[in-house]
Amino acid sequence: MKALILVGGFGTRLRPLTLSVPKPLVEFANKPMILHQIEALKAVGVTEVVLAINYQPEVMLNFLKEFEAKLGIKIICSQETEPLGTAGPLALARDKLIDDTGEPFFVLNSDVISEYPFAEMIEFHKAHGGEASIMVTKVDEPSKYGVVVTEESTGKVEKFVEKPKLFVGNKINAGIYLLNPAVLDRIELRPTSIEKEVFPKIALEGKLFAMVLPGFWMDIGQPRDYITGLRLYLDSLRKKSSLKLATGANIVGNVLVHESAQIGEGCLIGPDVAVGPGCVVESGVRLSRCTVMRGVRIKKHACISSSIIGWHSTVGQWARVENMTILGEDVHVCDEIYSNGGVVLPHKEIKSSILKPEIVM
Amino acid sequence: MEKVVAVIMVGGPTKGTRFRPLSFNTPKPLFPLAGQPMIQHPISACKRIPNLAQIFLIGFYEEREFALYVSSISNELKVPVRYLKEDKQHGSAGGLYYFRDMIMEENPSHIILLNCDVCCSFPLPDLLEAHKRYGGMGTMLVIKVSAESAHQFGELIADPNTKELLHYTEKPETFVSDLINCGVYVFTPDIFTAIQGVLTHREDRANIRQVSSFEAFQSATRTLPVDFVRLDQDILSPLAGKKQLYTYETMDFWEQIKTPGMSLKCSSLYLALFKITSPQLLASGNGITSATIAGDVYIHPSAKVHPTAKIGPNVSISANVRVGAGVRLISCIVLDDVEIKENAVVLNSIIGWKSSLGRWARVQGNGDYNAKLGITILGEAVTVEDEVVVINSIVLPNKVLNVSVQEEIIL
Repeated sequence: MKALILVGGFGTRLRPLTLSVPKPLVEFANKPMILHQIEALKAVGVTEVVLAINYQPEVMLNFLKEFEAKLGIKIICSQETEPLGTAGPLALARDKLIDDTGEPFFVLNSDVISEYPFAEMIEFHKAHGGEASIMVTKVDEPSKYGVVVTEESTGKVEKFVEKPKLFVGNKINAGIYLLNPAVLDRIELRPTSIEKEVFPKIALEGKLFAMVLPGFWMDIGQPRDYITGLRLYLDSLRKKSSLKLATGANIVGNVLVHESAQIGEGCLIGPDVAVGPGCVVESGVRLSRCTVMRGVRIKKHACISSSIIGWHSTVGQWARVENMTILGEDVHVCDEIYSNGGVVLPHKEIKSSILKPEIVM
Repeated sequence: MEKVVAVIMVGGPTKGTRFRPLSFNTPKPLFPLAGQPMIQHPISACKRIPNLAQIFLIGFYEEREFALYVSSISNELKVPVRYLKEDKQHGSAGGLYYFRDMIMEENPSHIILLNCDVCCSFPLPDLLEAHKRYGGMGTMLVIKVSAESAHQFGELIADPNTKELLHYTEKPETFVSDLINCGVYVFTPDIFTAIQGVLTHREDRANIRQVSSFEAFQSATRTLPVDFVRLDQDILSPLAGKKQLYTYETMDFWEQIKTPGMSLKCSSLYLALFKITSPQLLASGNGITSATIAGDVYIHPSAKVHPTAKIGPNVSISANVRVGAGVRLISCIVLDDVEIKENAVVLNSIIGWKSSLGRWARVQGNGDYNAKLGITILGEAVTVEDEVVVINSIVLPNKVLNVSVQEEIIL
């Protein structure tokens, strides 16, 4: 079986992290974002994954080779020369997605994190016998998104309403699709929106069905949602395989600590924290609701919450870092500094406090 | 025959975060001012020195970043230009010393030392003549600035008659003098002996193991590696008043190009200089068969500008730019491959490579070169859609702006 992951462009919403690393390779819960999806696809029998990207794949290719070997799955890049929207890339990768088996193929939005219930989705798709299945998820504020209106009992999609002013429903497109090869015949090789042009046509013919996504869902393409997403992910991990989570007197709530990371004495870590490989967390440190990337050193007595600390950065003694502070790669926060929502580009030293949210270039 | 060699210090990538977002894909020394790479201005000035044998560029950038430029400018000016990469930080004088064998290859009688991020008229032949008259080891270009701003630079005292350097101090906290160091020097090869002296003295000190714990506690700065020699603190300050160093004052303009905002100001200064030294480089237009030109404007030959557009003053347009009908450009730098559609307006801004401005788009800054957001900067491949206004903002590469923004940094 095959799959296409819409990786897209420059990941500008996840800057400054994406100034150092292409977005699919930015780690989430200590694993590159795209690896979460590729592993889940492999688990349901997908043998080939196409990554639809619209920038140079060179940086990605080395990592992809490594994943290919480790997972035993084929990974190829399909590069757009002009942005093709959310459907155009499927037309571009047509030859790679269709084979003689006539099997349906998955399409995923690369920013989406969830439990990836792909096996259930395959069952759902077979049962309704339609042309396309999409996952929908319930949200509190549907008008921020595109709402999918369905027939309650069958899940047949009636229509899509983009950012509705009045309440029409609370299910939105979760960015996970399972499509029959016939769908490709509806997509031309030009900038096309799958939600605005392709799906409505299939819905009109009564051939599009929506399944409510069980479990959590998050679009982690921007820092605030990345942090919320980690909480949801770790919560789900707790329910499924709590052995992966850290335990101990200095751990509270759901915490992931890589085996090569060191945590000092008298720390309090959690809830909702991920500490990456090679990190050193010195004694007396408080970490909550944050991600600490590979190779970071957090010095004694520091306190970090609701933030992301980029690769190989350091946070000084008694520093306090909070409120959506995002440190890029190789950023060094000096001792005793306070950062309230500082967004710091790579290779910087922070020598004076950031009192209100600010971008440091 | 007395040969002269020039050395231009170009710095390196990790030190230059102040030049973001323009420095993301182009090394700062190659950023264009008045249509020519920043470093070309001092290089062209060096060419005016008689018997110039070689030009060396010393920095931390990877060799491949300068390879193309260095070979093309060598061909164009018919003088060997070489880029030398420092393997580690040696300090402003240490770098010069590190490459002394190459610099002294052709036995030059004089060495010109320049900093790439200095913007001035580089009166090098006059500086060299003055130096020969004084007969010292080195002569530095100096300029008077306002008393308030002097503290940002190296302040110095010179003898009003002999022009000897009597006293020098780098970025003092209290006022010493309004005469400052321009970062342009001429030295005789004795400079290497002077640097050698500092290095030997350092090594001797390092060998003294008895450092009291109080001294160790006192050292506020990180202890310097033994081969790190700074020109200002380690050479100029100690040698002041010893009849070795002299000064030559320039009455022309002088600026340091530290930020993108300043690069716009310096581009204007160089355009004004071209008016005097190379007026053929500047654009002219009649508004009928070619665009109306006001003031000093540079337009690359490959750029296409609609005749109904009005360009200038202080505008620099790079290669393959397309400027549509009715566009107004004032005080800006437009980099390669930019497209500006009909009736758009640009003021006090820098438009990054391959960017696109829509119809009736307006991109402007308030013109304060020193303010963080005084000059609007669009990074590479930024799209500003039709009728959108961007004021006093910095936009990182590859963004699409479809709503107006003001006073913002957009990542």
